[in-house]
Formats: sequence, structure tokens, C-alpha cells
Amino acid sequence: MFALEINNVNKIYGNKFKALDNVNFRLAQGDFIGLLGVNGAGKTSLISSISGVNSFNGEIKVMGHDVLRDLVNAKKQLGVVPQELAFDPFLTVMQTLKFQSGLYGVSDNQAWIDELLERMHLTDKAHANTRSLSGGMKRRLMVAQALVHKPAVIILDEPTVGVDVEIRKNIWEFISKLHKEGHTILLTTHYLEEVEQLCNKIIMIDKGKVIAESSKQELIEKANGLPSSIEIETMDDKFTSELDGLVLSKSDNKYTLKLENNKSMMQILNTLTASGVVIENININRPKLEDIFLDYLGR
Amino acid sequence: MPFYAIIKKEIYRFSSIWVQTLIGPLTTALLYQLIFGHQFSSISTGIDGINYATFLIPGLIIMQVLLNAFGNGSSSLIQSKYSGNIIFILMAPVSQFSMYMAYLIASIIRGILVGAAVLIGIVWFGNLPFSHIWAIIYFAILGSAITGGLGLIGGIVCEKFDQLAGFQSFVMVPLIYLSGIFFNIQHFSDFWKSLAMLDPFLYIVDGFRYGFVGANNFAIEYGAIFVFVFAIIVNFVGYSLLRRGVKIKN
Repeated sequence: MFALEINNVNKIYGNKFKALDNVNFRLAQGDFIGLLGVNGAGKTSLISSISGVNSFNGEIKVMGHDVLRDLVNAKKQLGVVPQELAFDPFLTVMQTLKFQSGLYGVSDNQAWIDELLERMHLTDKAHANTRSLSGGMKRRLMVAQALVHKPAVIILDEPTVGVDVEIRKNIWEFISKLHKEGHTILLTTHYLEEVEQLCNKIIMIDKGKVIAESSKQELIEKANGLPSSIEIETMDDKFTSELDGLVLSKSDNKYTLKLENNKSMMQILNTLTASGVVIENININRPKLEDIFLDYLGR
Repeated sequence: MPFYAIIKKEIYRFSSIWVQTLIGPLTTALLYQLIFGHQFSSISTGIDGINYATFLIPGLIIMQVLLNAFGNGSSSLIQSKYSGNIIFILMAPVSQFSMYMAYLIASIIRGILVGAAVLIGIVWFGNLPFSHIWAIIYFAILGSAITGGLGLIGGIVCEKFDQLAGFQSFVMVPLIYLSGIFFNIQHFSDFWKSLAMLDPFLYIVDGFRYGFVGANNFAIEYGAIFVFVFAIIVNFVGYSLLRRGVKIKN
């Protein structure tokens, strides 16, 4: 059984805007998927459809439960962190988590709530009204809300926006721990380094269509096929005209050269040395996930 | 369990602002009772043995029941929409019927609790015989189910607080003031009497007052049936709007 099945899903809003265009993919149990796409690509529409908030055409199954025919059981398997900040201004942090537990029919989870508060650095705010929380704290509370019933499938729609670096790292450690415990995770984020670090599979979406779906390893192999570059800082801004054809850019005494492979790097270094150029610093730029993403988009 | 969680949270929500939700209506009712009860004390109520101060008490109680049941569902939903936290209920494993019923029952509870507080606050100004307790309970529950349902419809359909305020000012308040809360409609002119007859709240007020004073303008059986049917219709419309996700989903 797949953790998540998306079959021929289409979503057209009232203004005729087609947000999802025949989307298909499957997540195996235990997958950690990065869902990438520019703003307006359809990520949030897809998540809203999976969580039963949006109507759609097609078929979505969460842990085997059809979202259209068996919505309540499908929702029980899901924990979603929405993108927009949302909180109940009448409740404290603790009341929010207890209410959320009640919505999922869970009542004896105080120890888990305490752990969530600790992991999200909210223990000292447990009895504070949600109105008094900063944006980052509210975001962390939303993460805790999504996890309160220990869902099999966790969907995080840009969960670390506005969260400072240290706590973001802490959240990711916790999410990684949940992943190791067997939870399936679907993540959207603009922090591509997080996707590179955490996810084992990546799906790219643009204009409502899945434009790429592959393992992280496959993408890294694809990255190796994309051109790299080498930055060379030279002493006294000296350089050789023999390499002019490879120069991509120049800034002060720093030259950025196109790099085809390791062999060409040796040739560049040998040419510079033979020309009497003294190299002060070298930096090799390997293609990043962002470059691959832009390559897929054709931009 | 999710059903009870929503009701529990709603009760917590309106009880946490008790000055606004309880003291406010009680103060309003006391002011009406003091001013109207004194000013119109010589007016005939059309009911033997019932003076105006006594006649006014059930009207003021049911007015606050109706207004507060309306206010609960409408304000809760629109605040949840405005602050975005309705997403947590929409994403939770709660059927839309359970969600609707939980909000409706919370509205009824608030209406009844406020009505009880107003009763305790103003019962001393008259001499109520409490003739038919069943009618008091029946019309209070069904009346708050009707306005609670109207409040939910307002909360679902309205996107802004001023739209909701308009709904309350231009629909709810005229219907309530025309429903014979302050005066017996038999004393209205023909035009106003004909208009009042079209007001569904009239039958709620008439039946509720019957429970207290034992006399009414319309046959209680017809009033009871009409109010029941109207409550079903209003809440069917409200539930249908929620199920379709009008102004809530997508």
C-alpha cells in the first residue's frame, strides 16, 4: 500500500484557472519527498486537495483511504502544516494542542504534547495566549498541531518560513527523527539545501503539472551533467589570454571559468601556472538543486 | 469526540469573554425592563391578570436567547475564517454534519445560558406564573436553533465583519422587534399586524410567552409545528452551504 497516491488529479478554480493539470505520483511508506515549484506552481492547491479542503477531479488516496469516498479516515492519517499563519486567538498554546487532539479523537497524549512543546521550543509558552506569540512561534505551534495525533503521513507546506536558523535546524532534526520512525513526509520549501539534505525523492511541479519526479541520487547524477564553474583569484590581477574563451565573468581579481570536467580543471591550472599567473584562491562551483530545477523549467 | 471538542471549545470561547456574552445582554435586558416596564406600566397587555412588566419579561429573555444564539455561530465562524484557524477544523477528520451540528449546539447552549441569566436578572420585576415549562424549554431551544442556524448561514456566507453586522442590523433586529417582544401584536395597527404575521420570530415569542403566562395569540400546536419546520429548513440551508463549502473551501 502506498502512503499517498495521486491519480489524474485536476483542479480548476471558479475563475477557470487550472491549478492542477493531470497530476500523478505515488509516495511509498517511509518516503521523504521534496515538492518543489515556484510560487503559484500548484503546490498549495495540491496539498489542499490531499487534505480534503479543496474539491478536485481525479483520485487521491492516503494510506489506502480515498479522499473523496472515505475522507474522515484519510484525514486521520494526515498531519498538515498549512502555509498561511493561522491560530485561534481565544486559546493558549496548550489549549490549542488539546483542542487539536480532540479534533483527531486523541485524549491521552499529554506526554506527547509535552515532547512536542519541548521540541518546538514552546514549553515556556505553554500557557501563553496564541496572540502573544511571535510569527516564528506561531509557525512552530502549527508544526506541533500537525503532529499531535502522530499521523502516518506528514505534509509540511513551507513550515520554516520566518523561523530563525537555530530553531529551523532543530525542527528539521525532529522531522528527520519522525521520518526515521517510519512517518512519510511531503515537504515544500524554498530552502533547497534542506531538500538536498533531507529528502530521498524530489517532485518538481510547474503550472500545475509534474515536470520531474526522481530520486535525489538521479538528480545528483543529472547535476553532474550540468556545467560547473571554477572561481580563481589571481595575484595582481594577472591572467592569460589563452583562457579567454572559458571566462564566464570577472570581478576584481576573481575570474569565473566554465568547467567541463576534472581534466579541464587540470588543464586550466596548468595553463595559468605555465603563464606565470600566481593563484591565490580556488573555488569550484558544483551545480545545485536550484540549477537543476531551473534547468527543468528551461529558465 | 471531534464533535464534542468543537462544542467544548465554543463554550470555552464564549465563556472566556463573559462580560461581553453574559453581562452585556443582562444589562440590556435590565435597562429595557426598567425603562419600558416603568414607562408603559399602564398599557393593557391583552392578557387577564398579566401587567406590562410581567408581559415584558419573557419577551426580553427570548430576545437575548435569539440574538446570542445568532451571535455565537456567526461570530465564531467569521472570526475563524478571518484568522484562518478554520483550516484546522476543515482538515480534521470531522464530517461536515458533525461540524455543523457542533456549532449549532454550541449556539443553542449559549442562547439558553444567556436566557437563563437574563431570567434570573429580571424575573423579580413581575409576577410570572410559569404556566407551561415545556413550552418555555421547547421554544427557547427551537428559537435558538433557528437563529443559531441563521448565524451559521451568516458566518458562512459573509466574508467581512461589516457584512455580518449588516445582516444583523437589517434582518435580525427588525424581525426581532416586530415579533411582539415589547407589545402584544393585537394592539398593532392592521398594517403592522399583517407585517408581523409574516415574521417567523413572532411564533417563537408567542409560544415562549405562552410558557410563562399561559396565554397566547395563536394556537400553540400550530406555533410549535411552524417553529419546528422553520428550524429544520433554516438548518438544512445552513448545512447545505457548509457541505458545499460556500465561501469556506477552495
